[in-house]
Amino acid sequence: MNEYVDKIKKIASDMGEVRIMEVCGGHTNTIMQYGIRDILPNNIKLISGPGCPVCVTSQYDIDCMIELALQGIPVATYGDMINVPGTKTSLRDAQAKGADVKMMYSIDQMLDDKDRVFFAVGFETTTPMTARAYKNGIKVFNAHKVIPPAMKILTSEMKIGGFIDPGHVSTIIGSEIWDNLDIPVPQVISGFKPEALIRATYLLLEMIKKGENKVINDYHEVVFPKGNPIAVKQIKETMKPMDAEWRGIGVIPNSGLAARDEALDARIVYKELFKDIKSTENPDCRCGEIVRGMVEPKECKLFGKECNPQNPQGACMVSESEGACAIAFKYGKSLSE
Amino acid sequence: MAKKKEKKENCLTGNCPDLQQPDESMVKLSEGSGGRDMQILIDSFRDKLPASKEWSNCGDDSATIKLGNENLVFTTDSYVVTPIFFKGGNIGKLAFCGTVNDLAVMGAKPIGLSLGLVIEEGLPKSELSQIMKTIGELSRETKIPVVTGDTKVMERGAIDKIVINTSGVGLTDKVLDIKLKPGDKIIVSGGIGEHGTSLLAKRFELETDLPTDSKPLHEEIEAIKEKIKRARDITRGGLAATLNELVEKDGVRFLINEEDVPMKDEVAALTQILGVEVYNLACEGTFACFADKKNADEVLKKLKKFNKMAAIIGEVQKGSDVIVQTRFGQKILSTPLGEVVPRIC
Repeated sequence: MNEYVDKIKKIASDMGEVRIMEVCGGHTNTIMQYGIRDILPNNIKLISGPGCPVCVTSQYDIDCMIELALQGIPVATYGDMINVPGTKTSLRDAQAKGADVKMMYSIDQMLDDKDRVFFAVGFETTTPMTARAYKNGIKVFNAHKVIPPAMKILTSEMKIGGFIDPGHVSTIIGSEIWDNLDIPVPQVISGFKPEALIRATYLLLEMIKKGENKVINDYHEVVFPKGNPIAVKQIKETMKPMDAEWRGIGVIPNSGLAARDEALDARIVYKELFKDIKSTENPDCRCGEIVRGMVEPKECKLFGKECNPQNPQGACMVSESEGACAIAFKYGKSLSE
Repeated sequence: MAKKKEKKENCLTGNCPDLQQPDESMVKLSEGSGGRDMQILIDSFRDKLPASKEWSNCGDDSATIKLGNENLVFTTDSYVVTPIFFKGGNIGKLAFCGTVNDLAVMGAKPIGLSLGLVIEEGLPKSELSQIMKTIGELSRETKIPVVTGDTKVMERGAIDKIVINTSGVGLTDKVLDIKLKPGDKIIVSGGIGEHGTSLLAKRFELETDLPTDSKPLHEEIEAIKEKIKRARDITRGGLAATLNELVEKDGVRFLINEEDVPMKDEVAALTQILGVEVYNLACEGTFACFADKKNADEVLKKLKKFNKMAAIIGEVQKGSDVIVQTRFGQKILSTPLGEVVPRIC
């Protein structure tokens, strides 16, 4: 089947339980799409971390955007964000009630539409597009997240043997950031093919066994040490770090971004509209623990019952391509059932 | 003025009941996307319509009724698409081919179509003329006439440019509705996902030369009709929806070998870029059919004359669900839920 599957079986045979975390929703999708967890030995666990943009967006941020839309301000965002449930409703429901909500794929689709507020989500992969929005005078509700600070917190909180570093994010920020992250576990930057993820798993196991703590760039065809300097420059020119709230993790210092130009910062421009928003989550929803990789979707009592893709109770059930619960719902049904 | 302000403040404090409460009473866009959401919507009102004893296959692509030695096959479909012009066709081509194909997959020879147009005020006449020209050309080529029709115009903003409904009737001595059994082979007539990929690319402004696969299928199906048990044109919801519908209907399992599923390189690349599942994407001129093991190679050979990407992609087994064997493990392919949305990161 694949030489690295055999190598993994061999190297893992005398290891205890090893937990390897991927922090990119695209990786989670490949792993589930190709049934990779099923072909690994039982003691090697691939767990999904906070790599799904809609899943880590705080309930408060979602409620703010729904409020804006319901107040008649045109908004735009990426596909899955539209279906995420807020405290009371979603952007999709707001749209059905007549709010002007546009689903977009590229920022170029709204550059002529200066009255529309862009709800920016995602990690460093989508941040350069937001820089372009600012440069064109678009107001942005910035909910971007920066991955490295979250990984640092996770390694201090729980037992993780190694990280599969995100592929697309690394093409922007470069591989040097990971070298400088100073965490006590090895990392491999991986591409998105199933073969690449299996190889990344093997490379991590090899380092874990030797007690090494290095970063291997195994996606070097597109990930360079300094990343994409043009994109990084644009981000720095238009945005500054801020503390950001992650669903399930809480506030992480300097893990979010805000506009340098306050006139384009929708959090400031519309702050009057947001002052009374009180956000609450379904108390039984375990999205928070799921994005931290502490529990698996099926351990949540809502999973597959009250919470399903038609009627998501939490954000992890929304994105069919990146949300841990939605992916588990889609591919995870046991074949023996 | 003061009153208006007060109302706004009420909304801000969350006391705006008609806007703030989630409302299940409204139809949502995802309930029209051909996935499970739509099925639930249809099930919610289907029992309000009395069933017929004379008609069969009412839940299929076309309904059938026995008339002497022949079966009359009847279908209807409404077409909305954004944009209305795209690479390789326009909404008129979809409307003509879609109904012809719904008749053809039941084994029927289409004998006539109706054409209902609902037009938005302001649609350029040149665009309407182009759409009608396309339908006329297809009608001439296939010798399937449009025999009746209706035209309405609605005020600007009431609909988006144009909605087309076509209904069609056809005749056949043999309806293609033979129950599938373990061992039967699953064949597709060409590469999957081309229509959906082409439209998504255009909608999200990615450049590609990939055209829609929209075309009439009645000749292809006529050529293999005697050797197959069932056929289904793959439309909204893609191959995933088509296959899941049939495993439920016939109480069987399909095992699909992923490496055998035909797909153009452009489709593989664009679906990767957009982060969408190719199995969920629509075709408009590609169908899946099912044949006894002993006939499968002959069917494939005939289909390859029309499209050399035709392929045997799997087989029918005992059990339930559509299972895809990937290069590594297996996965279950579910019915898509609602709209196809691109991945964010």
